[in-house]
Amino acid sequence: MVEKEHLIDLQHICKEYDDTAVLTDINLYIRKKEFVTLLGPSGCGKTTTLRIIGGFEYPTSGTLLFEGKDIGALPPYKRKVNTIFQKYALFPHLNVFDNIAFGQKIAKVPTKEINIRVEKMLELVNLRGYGKRSVDQLSGGQQQRVAIARALVNEPQVLLLDEPLGALDLKLRKDMQLELKRMQQALGITFLYVTHDQEEALTMSDTVVVMSDGRILQIGDPKSVYDEPANAFVADFIGESNIMRGMMLQDELVRFSGANFPCVDAGFGENQPVDVVVRPEDIMIVGNDIGQITGIVQSVLFKGVHYEMMIDTGETIFKVHSTVMQAQGSNVGLSIVPYNIHIMKPMLRPVLPSEGEGEEEEAL
Amino acid sequence: MNQSLSLPSWMLWLLGLFLLGFVLLAVYSVKRTNGIRRSFFASPYTLWMVLFTIVPCVLIAYYALTDANGAFTLDNFRNFWDSNYSVNQLYTQMGPEYEVLIQRGTVNIGILVYSLWMALLCTIICLVLGYPAAYFMADRNIKIGSILVVLFIIPMWMNFLLRTIAWMTLLEDQGLINTLLKSLGFHSVQLMYNDRAVLLGMVYNFLPFMVFPIYTSLTKMDSKLLEAAQDLGANHLHTFWRVTAPLSLPGVISGITMVFMPSVTTFFIPRILGGGNTMMFGDLIENRFLTEGNWNLGSALSLIMMVLILISLSVLRKADPEGEGGGMI
Repeated sequence: MVEKEHLIDLQHICKEYDDTAVLTDINLYIRKKEFVTLLGPSGCGKTTTLRIIGGFEYPTSGTLLFEGKDIGALPPYKRKVNTIFQKYALFPHLNVFDNIAFGQKIAKVPTKEINIRVEKMLELVNLRGYGKRSVDQLSGGQQQRVAIARALVNEPQVLLLDEPLGALDLKLRKDMQLELKRMQQALGITFLYVTHDQEEALTMSDTVVVMSDGRILQIGDPKSVYDEPANAFVADFIGESNIMRGMMLQDELVRFSGANFPCVDAGFGENQPVDVVVRPEDIMIVGNDIGQITGIVQSVLFKGVHYEMMIDTGETIFKVHSTVMQAQGSNVGLSIVPYNIHIMKPMLRPVLPSEGEGEEEEAL
Repeated sequence: MNQSLSLPSWMLWLLGLFLLGFVLLAVYSVKRTNGIRRSFFASPYTLWMVLFTIVPCVLIAYYALTDANGAFTLDNFRNFWDSNYSVNQLYTQMGPEYEVLIQRGTVNIGILVYSLWMALLCTIICLVLGYPAAYFMADRNIKIGSILVVLFIIPMWMNFLLRTIAWMTLLEDQGLINTLLKSLGFHSVQLMYNDRAVLLGMVYNFLPFMVFPIYTSLTKMDSKLLEAAQDLGANHLHTFWRVTAPLSLPGVISGITMVFMPSVTTFFIPRILGGGNTMMFGDLIENRFLTEGNWNLGSALSLIMMVLILISLSVLRKADPEGEGGGMI
């Protein structure tokens, strides 16, 4: 059942705190040298999943396999994984060198060998000459690097990263994203990364695991998760979306927002309620005589690369991204290419995060 | 005998001048800034400190360096080394081990060494008992921890003398423990009037001062650090010695300070639980002042005590340069 290349297998993992389910039936495998990201809003269970793999929490039920062996009951210090904690958890009483050497000293590596390895690690994370510094003297980014070095020096098979870039500013975060990816590829270590930042997840991962409410909603590579969201929640969480209720009239024809749109999906049956997702950048603004529907530009926001316009068609307010600005109050036509319309089975309503924002309400 | 107000008039003048200067300074600071400076609000505390800390210290130094007539002398300190000149009723009821010391004239030093030794033992016992207690209290996984905190605090609501006397009823020959032993068919045991009883009383009274600083430093510690240590391969023992112990060191040092200082100057406990067979430095000072009425000698002893405490504090400070352990002095 377990394939050879699977390094970690989570099978039917459940976790409850005082009868409150935090994780429900988590099934996930991680391959060797893969960069897997657990993505979801706070409280979705992604950190708990990471902590179960790290050994800081024990699952209520389910099996955790590492190279095919059950490690569910092993304490953290017997697992071949290392963690980078959210706030780094560097030892304040030790300097940079001793922080990095901590695991090696526990493992009773000879001092000479430790010195060589730690120096190599300092070089890897661009902190050469910082060994004697106290960790309080370092900036957030430097502390981050020490945390990475402290974990990597032990040559773990898997590195668990719990929102490691959350405390850094945008520019530094972007740099570190690339650097982490570079290290992962250079060292050939499996990374399991937890974040709520969808852009980060899409940039770095080989595989994205979207979670919500203690469940896995979708597993896939970044492109498929973005292009083919499994449901309205994923669509809404990853990137920006217009999510509407619609009706599948027949194969390749869907009705929403008061108009019929040709699409490429089939197999939903006739006259079936569905959720319709259209990315803001996939809606084209055309002359109001040739659009599939028409609407009035309610508001215009400059977002840097593009303008974000809210366009009211009477039935729906669409969020549209375009590099060309339309004047507020002007009448425009909207057109959507068939393969940009994503049809999915309707979700149970309470799970939708943007409920009440009004954009996806009252379709049809 | 009572020489309490034998201060020379120049000292009273000095004190008055000091207070006047202080008031003038306060008025000046208000005037200069056209309003009340914030530092002005600290003045009641400054006044308090001057009146009840600095002035008494100056007085102790004054008495220690003068004789009964107010003339300058170093005799009081000489007497500390050689107590022959004042062998009196003070020592008559003390145990036979003091005979030798009294004959040699080194009874003061003997008592000082004994006090330091008892204080050291008390501090070590408090540390050995107190650290695990603090550790369990700080452990969030142990539900009983918060109850332990309360149990340690409740006795502190009671008066120190009362707590010590309460031990008498337990340890006496006809006390609770011996009654229980006898009813079970054992011989009664001499529990009181020895060093161990005194030590017990000291440990009992000073233990909370060890527990709470350690407890505070342990609760301040980020529990993520323990996870990080385990993550890096440290088992529970490694984690304790390499992370928990060094990070709680400020609390330990603060605890040692807060137990050792009052331990050295302990009085009353030896008299109650030691039955007067033993005497500690605090008792000696008390006796000089109250029984003998020799304020000069008592002050000299107090001064020696203060210097010793200052030395031990500065040694401890070296070990905790940031003063994290609650900032004791």
